[in-house]
Amino acid sequence: MQHMAQLSLGQEQSQGAAVEVRGLGHIYAGRDGAVPALTDIDLNVPAGRFVVIVGPSGCGKTSLLMMLAGLRTQTSGTILVDGRSIATPDPSRVGVVFQEASLYPWLTAVENVEFPLVLKNAPRDERRARAEAMLNLVGLSGFGGRYPHELSGGMKQRVSIARGLVQDPPVLLMDEPFAALDEQTRMTMGHELLRIWSQTSKTVVFITHSLTEAVYLADEVIVMSARPGRILDRVPIDLPRPRTYQMMATDVFGALRERIWHQIRDVP
Amino acid sequence: MTRPSPRAVRRLIGLGLLVLWEAVPRLGLLPELFVPPLTKTLAVLWLDRSIYGAALLVTLYEVAAAMLIACGVGILVGAVVGGVATLRNLLLPVFSSLYAVPIVILYPIFTAWFGIGSESKIAFAGVYGFFPVMLSTAAGIRTIDEQYLLAARSMGATLPQLIARVIIPASIPTVLAGLRLGGALTIIGVVVSEMLTSASGIGYLVTMNRTILDSPRVFAAIIVVLALSVVFDIIVRAVERRTLVWQTAGRRTASPEAVMPARLATV
Repeated sequence: MQHMAQLSLGQEQSQGAAVEVRGLGHIYAGRDGAVPALTDIDLNVPAGRFVVIVGPSGCGKTSLLMMLAGLRTQTSGTILVDGRSIATPDPSRVGVVFQEASLYPWLTAVENVEFPLVLKNAPRDERRARAEAMLNLVGLSGFGGRYPHELSGGMKQRVSIARGLVQDPPVLLMDEPFAALDEQTRMTMGHELLRIWSQTSKTVVFITHSLTEAVYLADEVIVMSARPGRILDRVPIDLPRPRTYQMMATDVFGALRERIWHQIRDVP
Repeated sequence: MTRPSPRAVRRLIGLGLLVLWEAVPRLGLLPELFVPPLTKTLAVLWLDRSIYGAALLVTLYEVAAAMLIACGVGILVGAVVGGVATLRNLLLPVFSSLYAVPIVILYPIFTAWFGIGSESKIAFAGVYGFFPVMLSTAAGIRTIDEQYLLAARSMGATLPQLIARVIIPASIPTVLAGLRLGGALTIIGVVVSEMLTSASGIGYLVTMNRTILDSPRVFAAIIVVLALSVVFDIIVRAVERRTLVWQTAGRRTASPEAVMPARLATV
């Protein structure tokens, strides 16, 4: 019911928005002059919402995510995260999970998770306890002493999620986090992510190429087009939660998937 | 019958070579002037231990000082050249080409500048060992995975933190490989320059005894240099093992099933 209530919030609603993007545009200097990468992006993600962005390669969805993380600066428009603009990375407001395991191979799993706290000079006991708690949350208790090369692909991404959540930011950004995993692990990880999300009530902005993954995970799917990147459609996914694998076989699921697929396909 | 391990075979070959070293001159297959028997060489080494010891100290001092220069300056210059794109594009091709120049032809110039004492050996060997250290440091820094840096920035790392906690640990493996090569070249540089123009050190003992055709003493000096190189290699390996736990740690494969919460199996 909570999700239905959130769905009814209009685009104009800004109170309680975890992520708010207004009139965002980005132009980068390409070889043949200025190239518009993103135009007229308006996005309003209420707190606790799970939003998935899909679109063809080159639609600027990763650029958009980088801007939401404060890792890149937009040419025009405003971004508010947790009510304030984000010009530089702020891990206490935004956690980021990248596609490839961006874990540091010279650190153990628990040391990777506590890395953001080390950067803040948190006391050793405190950060270790926090990191262990996060590993526990992602289902990796007892694996803290392992080095990344001793972990499977899925386990590495669990560690990445734990690292993204370690400072308890209200917003979690995920850039194709499961793209490098095999199909089976990917489905498992999607399910696990929903469990973690429901336990932590974070706002998630998730990028993927997989439409099945998008519909399975999202409260709302944002469909983007390429050159210039703009928002084509916002598809509310009102499948009940918790989501189950059986839902993928339903007509509703198929119809939603089809609606998104048509829009991406129709783009030249 | 079990196949002997490579290690056992290696030891057997080593032992065989030592036996040959003793047997070939003793049996008169080669004149003792070419290859003096092993025992005779060792006997001379023991007899002249104070001479060889003093020479070794000189060589060790020169090697240590040259390594300090090669590694210190090499890492510093390599880090700057590898880290700054404009410098990299400007200098790296030059350094790479210089590396191919047989620097030993410059040694006479070094003696002209620094004399024939230890200073010229240190300067020459320092330059000789500098290039691989500098080049591999630059390569180590240049080839750091962009993702590591991006992730660190997303976690709020400042530039000093980025350097200390990401760039340095990430480039350690490549830098160590360069130190290993640079260190070996430093030893070569010192010994060769001692052989060319000098009045002390192990290299000097080789040349000096060669001119008076005292083969056992030449070989005794060679044994000392060999021992020096082997000890250096053992030290570097030990350092590598210690620093790179994360690379050498047994590649145990983790089973995903072990972590997957049991309730997922029911979904």
